[in-house]
Amino acid sequence: MRVGIPGGLLYFRYGKLWTSFLQALGAEVVESGETTRSILSSGVSKAENESCLPVKVFYGHVLALRDKVDAIFVPRLVSVKKGTHTCPKMLGLPDLARAAVEDKVPVIAPTINFQEGMWANYRAVYSLGRLFTRDPLRIVRAGLEAWSEHRLYLERLTLGLDHRSALKGETEDLLCEGRELRIGVIGHHYNVYDTFTTMSLLDRLSSMGVDVVTADMVPEELKRRELRRLPKDIYWSYEQEVAGAILACTRYRLVDGIIFMISFPCGPDSIIRVLCEQENRRMGGVPMLSLVIDEHTGEGGFLTRIEAFVDMLRRRKGIASEVREAVAV
Amino acid sequence: MKISWPHMGSLEFVMSSVFEELGLDYVLPPPSSQRTLELGTRYGPEFACFPLKTTLGNFIEAIEAGADTLIMVAGKGPCRFGFYAETQRRILEDAGYRFRMVMLEFEPNKLPATIRKLKELKQGRPWRSVAWAIKFALSKAYLIDRLEQQALHQRCLDRERGATTKALERCYRMVWEADSYASLRKVEQEAFGLLQNVPREERETVKVGIVGEFYLVLEPFFNLGVEEQLGNLGAYVERSVYLTDWLRPSGNNPVAGQHDREVEEAARPYLTHFVGGEGLRSVGATVLYHRNGYDGVVHVMPFTCMPETIAKSILPRVSRDLGIPVLSLVIDEMTGKAGVATRLEAFVDLARFRRRARDAGIDYSLQPAF
Ligand code: SF4
Ligand code: SF4
Repeated sequence: MRVGIPGGLLYFRYGKLWTSFLQALGAEVVESGETTRSILSSGVSKAENESCLPVKVFYGHVLALRDKVDAIFVPRLVSVKKGTHTCPKMLGLPDLARAAVEDKVPVIAPTINFQEGMWANYRAVYSLGRLFTRDPLRIVRAGLEAWSEHRLYLERLTLGLDHRSALKGETEDLLCEGRELRIGVIGHHYNVYDTFTTMSLLDRLSSMGVDVVTADMVPEELKRRELRRLPKDIYWSYEQEVAGAILACTRYRLVDGIIFMISFPCGPDSIIRVLCEQENRRMGGVPMLSLVIDEHTGEGGFLTRIEAFVDMLRRRKGIASEVREAVAV
Repeated sequence: MKISWPHMGSLEFVMSSVFEELGLDYVLPPPSSQRTLELGTRYGPEFACFPLKTTLGNFIEAIEAGADTLIMVAGKGPCRFGFYAETQRRILEDAGYRFRMVMLEFEPNKLPATIRKLKELKQGRPWRSVAWAIKFALSKAYLIDRLEQQALHQRCLDRERGATTKALERCYRMVWEADSYASLRKVEQEAFGLLQNVPREERETVKVGIVGEFYLVLEPFFNLGVEEQLGNLGAYVERSVYLTDWLRPSGNNPVAGQHDREVEEAARPYLTHFVGGEGLRSVGATVLYHRNGYDGVVHVMPFTCMPETIAKSILPRVSRDLGIPVLSLVIDEMTGKAGVATRLEAFVDLARFRRRARDAGIDYSLQPAF
């Protein structure tokens, strides 16, 4: 059976897990690959105008796979941590995918919900496995194997690789190499690592001679400590990471500046942004740029804002930018 | 302590009746207006939900009117509503207002804290009378809901435009003034009598259901009077949510008469999981409306609302499958009343045309959602 995995939204976190699990079960996995202009535009024309950019991109990926596969794999992640939820859009994602392909292809949608305890999740994964094989041992083995691959992938992210090289298993090209200026680029995985919608922000910063710190690279313990300080718990799991990372970066001065990547019109981010900006201000923190991207964001304006921000940080830190030096000479 | 809370449909009558009963001080925020919205958009975050902005506007106007304690419920998602109170507190603090925000959370692990907060709010009144006041207010809410439902059903038959609305406003007053179960029962009869005595004329009507985000469905000022407009266009209207469903979240939704499980069941071919807010209900109720012979469904949602965006992506499919026209109205601070009026008019015309075609046994082609 040929199973398609759309390369949008949570693929930027669990892609490795999904592909290795399905492959170990003997499925032929077809990925839609990286976002391209045609994927984006087909997604934008198909999705509701009110959807957020990543969901539109996701639609594009689903449509790109529609005619190539026997089934599309869109798991429903209800909760990935006790006491939290994912975003409502992710709760409804398989149904959105079904509406997008208009029932031409079946959608495989196991439900993962950590509110319900491990047994329910085990059952969900097991019955997913049963679609491909009748051998229970093989399912368990595939699960364990995929899980360790996933751990390795996440570990690579924490070491400072970006999504693409972590997927491939390359270990060069670290985002953070000890250059003078360090910027936190923080946001959801799909907002930070998608090279097309972010217009290669990470590469660009790196070629400007700037070190990048992503939310994954901020130590878990610091994030947790920051979250405990908040008067009201954040109940979105991915938002916890974002807010925790921003607050930790601010309090411990892990970076010289923060770029908060938001896609328009993201529900949870619009709320978290208020919290982060206020806490940042109260701590007398680091300069923060909230970058809102959507499908109309032009490359020119985007670059100008990034450059201006980097220049400002350089000036604050007393490093003359190369351009400035050239002018002075 | 001057307590205040944001508007939401007829919530003001219910809440203020609790405070009246207990003899506590409260401030009613001025009725929602264009200024409320402007204040809300000025201070509110860029693409936050529309209700967050409007209730923020209510809070600001309440503080200006002398309130110093603001009540808001909070929760644990997955929707944004659970975080309103916290966000609004931060925004208002940044804007330099002085107030106290009392966040009421009703999850099991937050209950002790909530009870402590309630204790402070009740200012020494005995728990027994608090419980009674709340119970009585809930009964009032239920009565108000049923009166509203009656108004929705009969508005299309008004001989004189707006007569039902005027009668309904008198009913609100009457219910609010009731101070014992005996008088509430009397008011109930009088109020229904008042509504039924509004002069009517026979007209051809169509049946239209309203689904959508809770706050917006309930709040006539911000949904641009969708209910009233539909009624005036000659539609028998029913809606999927009433205040009681929110005040007493038991799942059996006594006013609209659709049990949560029934709604879930109906939505299953299209949406199989709870998505926060009213997303699942919007889809399920649309199917139920179709089963009950309605001619069309109007879906109201705030711009950027997450559950309703999901519903909006799925409703065209429901509409195509079942052949029931669905009109999605996306409302934000820029939406104009005139535009909505034109779209509603076209929609009711379409629904009427389809009803006639069906009654005459003509096979009408399926219309895509618009
Ligand atoms: S978290 Fe934000 S960006 Fe992600 S799916 Fe939800 S609304 Fe969209
Ligand atoms: S239902 Fe929609 S409008 Fe209401 S809080 Fe949730 S996202 Fe906001």
